[in-house]
Amino acid sequence: MSHSEHEAPIHRTSPRRMGKMLAIIIGIQIVGGLLFFSHYDFWNSYLPIAGKLQEQGAITGGAAQGQATGKTVNVSLKFIESPDFKTYAFNALSGQDRNPEIHANVGDKIIFDVTNSGKSFHAFAVTDSKEGPGPAIEGTTVGTADNPMKPGAKGQATFVPAKAGEYYYICAVPGHREMGMEGKIEVSEASSAGATSGATVTPTGNKVEFSLSFVMSTDFKEYAFNALPGQPGHNPDIKVKSGDTVTIHIKNDSKSFHSFGVVTDPDNPTNVLWNSAFKSPDNPMKPGESGDVTFVAGAPGTYHYICTVPGHATMGMDAKFIVE
Amino acid sequence: MVLELQKPRPVWQIMFSTHHTDVGYLYTVTSLAFLFMAGVLAMVIRTHLFFPGEGVLISDSVTFNRIFTVHGSTMLFLFALPFAAGIGNYLVPIMVRYKDMAYPKLNAVAFWMVPVGGALVWLGFSDTTWVAYAPYSIIRAPGPAADMWIFGMKILGISSILSSINFIVTILRCKHPDLPLRRVPLFAWSMLTVSLMTVVAMPTFAAALVMMLTDRLGVSGFFNPAMGGDPIAYLHLFWFTFHPEVYIFLLPAIGMMYEIIPRFSRKPLFSQGSGVFAFVMLGLIGFASWGHHMFSTGMDFTTKTVFMIGTLAAVPASGMHVFNFLATMWGGRIRFDAPMKFMVGGIALFFSAGAGGVLNTAMPLDFITHGTYWVVGHMHLFLTGTIAFGFVGMMYYIFPLFTGRMYSEKWASIQFILMMWGTVQVFFTQHILGLEGMARRVYDYPTDFTSWTQLNQIATVGAWILGASFVIFLAQLIYYSSKGKEANMDDPFKLGGKYYYPYQAKTPHHTGY
Amino acid sequence: MGHDTSEWVFVAIVIAILIYVGVDSWDIEKLLEDVPADAETIKVTGQQWFWSFEHADGTKEISTLHLKKGHAYKFEIYAKDVMHSFNIPDWVVFQDAVPGRVNHAWFSPDQTGEFPIQCREYCGLLHYNMRGSLVVEDSKS
Repeated sequence: MSHSEHEAPIHRTSPRRMGKMLAIIIGIQIVGGLLFFSHYDFWNSYLPIAGKLQEQGAITGGAAQGQATGKTVNVSLKFIESPDFKTYAFNALSGQDRNPEIHANVGDKIIFDVTNSGKSFHAFAVTDSKEGPGPAIEGTTVGTADNPMKPGAKGQATFVPAKAGEYYYICAVPGHREMGMEGKIEVSEASSAGATSGATVTPTGNKVEFSLSFVMSTDFKEYAFNALPGQPGHNPDIKVKSGDTVTIHIKNDSKSFHSFGVVTDPDNPTNVLWNSAFKSPDNPMKPGESGDVTFVAGAPGTYHYICTVPGHATMGMDAKFIVE
Repeated sequence: MVLELQKPRPVWQIMFSTHHTDVGYLYTVTSLAFLFMAGVLAMVIRTHLFFPGEGVLISDSVTFNRIFTVHGSTMLFLFALPFAAGIGNYLVPIMVRYKDMAYPKLNAVAFWMVPVGGALVWLGFSDTTWVAYAPYSIIRAPGPAADMWIFGMKILGISSILSSINFIVTILRCKHPDLPLRRVPLFAWSMLTVSLMTVVAMPTFAAALVMMLTDRLGVSGFFNPAMGGDPIAYLHLFWFTFHPEVYIFLLPAIGMMYEIIPRFSRKPLFSQGSGVFAFVMLGLIGFASWGHHMFSTGMDFTTKTVFMIGTLAAVPASGMHVFNFLATMWGGRIRFDAPMKFMVGGIALFFSAGAGGVLNTAMPLDFITHGTYWVVGHMHLFLTGTIAFGFVGMMYYIFPLFTGRMYSEKWASIQFILMMWGTVQVFFTQHILGLEGMARRVYDYPTDFTSWTQLNQIATVGAWILGASFVIFLAQLIYYSSKGKEANMDDPFKLGGKYYYPYQAKTPHHTGY
Repeated sequence: MGHDTSEWVFVAIVIAILIYVGVDSWDIEKLLEDVPADAETIKVTGQQWFWSFEHADGTKEISTLHLKKGHAYKFEIYAKDVMHSFNIPDWVVFQDAVPGRVNHAWFSPDQTGEFPIQCREYCGLLHYNMRGSLVVEDSKS
C-alpha cells in the first residue's frame, strides 16, 4: 500500500457520510437509553450475595421445634480466631462482647444464628456438660467435628431448655472449647409475670389507629418520632390491647431514609413482630413518602416501635409500644 | 478517510475493516461520543451542586452516586484510553514506516471490545465510584449494576492490553530497518512506553476485578473482613494499576504535544534524547508511587516515606518534558493556530496540576487534601487541562487528515478561550474548596459555611463555560467535517517548507522536523 | 553541547525544590506520629452513616464528642461495615476507618469551641451526611 501520492483524487467527507455516522451513534444511544430506562428499577435492585450473608439475623423463621411457651430470644454468634490463632472465641476476642452470656427462662425458644467468621473449621453445639466437646443436646448442632462449618458458613440452631440450670454453647471441634469457644446459658425457672413473648394472637376485631412521622433535626444529629427531644409529642407511647387491629399512618418527614417496625428488642431491628414492618432497610421510605401498615397486636408486654434501619433506633427512633 | 484510500467505501466496510486508519478512526469517533456523554453527566453534577440542599436537580443521592461513577469510568476508560489508541493506531504505523499495525485483526477485536464494555457500564450505571473500594463494592453495592461494571471494566482492560501488545510489536519489531529506534518520533515513543506500562499494570487490576466478583458472590473473602479478608489489599492492587495508569492517560497527550509544538514553532525539537529519556523514566518510576493514594489507611511511617519519594522522583521527568517544549518554542516562528493554542494551554495547566500534586504528596499535607475537592481539582487539571487540551489540539491537527476539510479557525479560537477560562475557573476554585474542607463524592453540602456555597457556584459557572466550549467543539466537528473549506493536503496549516504530516516523508529518515 | 546546560540547570532546580519538600514533609510527619504517653484513648466507630464514640471510662456518645481543652487524645478508629474516613478538618485529624482493622490518630485541642466531624471516604447513600460534632470544653478538673 503506498503512502499517498497527492496526485490521486482526495476524497473528502460529505454531509451524507457525516449524517450516516451520526445516525449510527445517536441510534445506538437511543436504543441504550430505552433499554436502561425501561428497566430502571432493575439495574440497581439487589444486594450482592456477600452482603446478604453479612446481614445478621437475615435467617428468620424456620421450622418450629418443640413447644416454646416463653419468649423467643435471638442470639447471633460468630466463631472468630485471633490472628496468631492462639485465642478462639465467639463474637469478640476480648471485652464484654466476648462469648456473650445468655439468660433465659425454661420454655424460652433460643434461636442461634451461627456464622463461621474465622479462617478455620468449627461446629456449633449446646451442651450441659462442663468440659469437653459434648455431648450435644439434640437439635442444637450446626455442623459436627467430622463435618464442620467451613469459613463463611452460616447455620441456625434452636434450643428450648426443658429444665433450669447452666448450659453452654460451644464449638464442638475437639480442643476449641478449651481455647476459648465457650459461652454460658443461664436458664432459670419461668416466671409467672407476663414476659414479653411477642407471640401472635387472634384478632378481637377492635380497630385502632395512630399517626407517626419520622423526624430528624436539621443537623442530622437527633432522630425521633413526631417531635424532637424536648418538644411536646416526642416519641409518644402507644398503648393497645392484645388482639387489636392496629393501623399506623406513617410519614417520613425527614431528609433521610427510614423504615418502621414493632420489635421486642430495639437492638435487634431485623426481628419485626406480627408483620408490622413498613418498608425495610433495603427498601426504605424516601423523604416525604407516607403509607399505612395494619397488623394485629400480639401477646401482652412492653415492646418497642422503632425505625428498623440499623443504628437509627440507637439514635433516638425508639419508643414504647405497650400491649395490655 | 482521506489517507491512501482510492474511493469512498460504504460505512459498514469501514466498521469491519482491520486497516489501521479505519480502526484508528473508529476508536476516535467512539471515544468522542463517550466524551460528550460523560460531559453531559458532569454538567448535571455541577448544576446540581450549584445550590446546597437535596433534590436541586438530582432527586436522590443514589442517582447522584451513580452519575459520578459513570462519569469517571467513562471519561477514563471510554474516552482517554480509546482516543489515545485511536490516534496511535492512525499515526504510529506511519511513523515507523510500516504498512499497518502488527496484528490488524487483533486490532479490530480490541476496538470492538470498547463499545461492548461501555454498554455494560452504561446500562448498569453502578454506584460504587470508579475506584470501587472494598468492602462497599462487595457487600453493599447493589447488583446487577456493580457486576455489570466489573464485567465492563474487565473487557475494557483486556482491550487495552491487546492494543498495547499490538503497539509494542509494531514499534519494536515492525519498524523500518533503516529507522533507528531513537529517531522514531516521540509520539510513537509515548505509545510504546504507555503500552509497556499497560502490559505490566493492567493485569493486576484484572485480577482484582475477578477477586471482587468472587467476593461479591460470597465464595471468597479476599477483601471482605467478615470472611477473613482485608479491604486494604484491594486498595493496593487497585492503585498499583491505577497510579501507572494515570501516567498511561497522560503520556499520549504529551506525545501529541511533541508532534505539534515543533511543527507549529517551525523549529526543530530541542532534544529528542531528553524526550525519550523522560518518557522511559516516567514509565519506570510511575510504578513506585501507588501508595500515595493510601496515605490515610494506616500505613507505617517508612512505607509512606518510600511512596512519597517515589512520587517526587517522577516530577523531574515531567519537568523535562515541559522544558523541552518551552525550549523548542523559544526563538521559533510560532504559528498560533488552534492545535498550537491548545497544546500551549495544556502545558501551562500541566505545570499547575503538577505543582498542586507536589503538595498532595507531601505526606502530612495529604491529610488536609485527601478525599476533598482539592483532589477533584487536581486530577481534573491533569485530565481536562493537559489530556483533554492535548487531545482537542490533536483532533484539530488531524481534522484535515480525517476529513480533507479545514475547521473554522475563528470558532476554534473561541472554543480555546472558553475552554481555558472554564477549566481554570472550575478546577482552581475546587482546589480552594478542598482546602476549605468540602469532601468529594457528596450529594449535598451543609449551608453552615457560606464560602462553600459561593465557591460551588463559581465552580459551576466555570463548568458551564467549559461545557459551552465543548458544545462548540462538537458543532465544529459535525459541521465542518462535511461543510468545511477543502484543505490543502500538502500544507493545511500553511506552515511552509519541511513541516508536514508524517506520511509525506520521502525517505524513512525524514521525521518532518 | 552548550544548549543542554540550561536543561541541566532546570532539572537541578526542580530536584532541589522537591528535596526540600520531601525533607520537610518527613520532619513534620515524624512529629505527627509521636503520640504523647498521657493521651486518653477514645474509640471511634464509623458505620453507615454515623459516628459513635467511647471514652476510656466507658462513656458512650453518638455523633457528638465532648473533649477537654489542653488534653491529648488518641483515637482508635474502627469501622463496622464499609470503609469510612474519620476527619476533623479543623484539627487535621484524618485516618481511614477500615473494617477488620484499627487505625490511630492523635491530637490535642488547644481551643474551645464546636468543630465539625465528617466522613471523607465514600460509603454509600448518606456519605454526604455522615457528620458529627466535636465539642471542646475548658477542662475543669
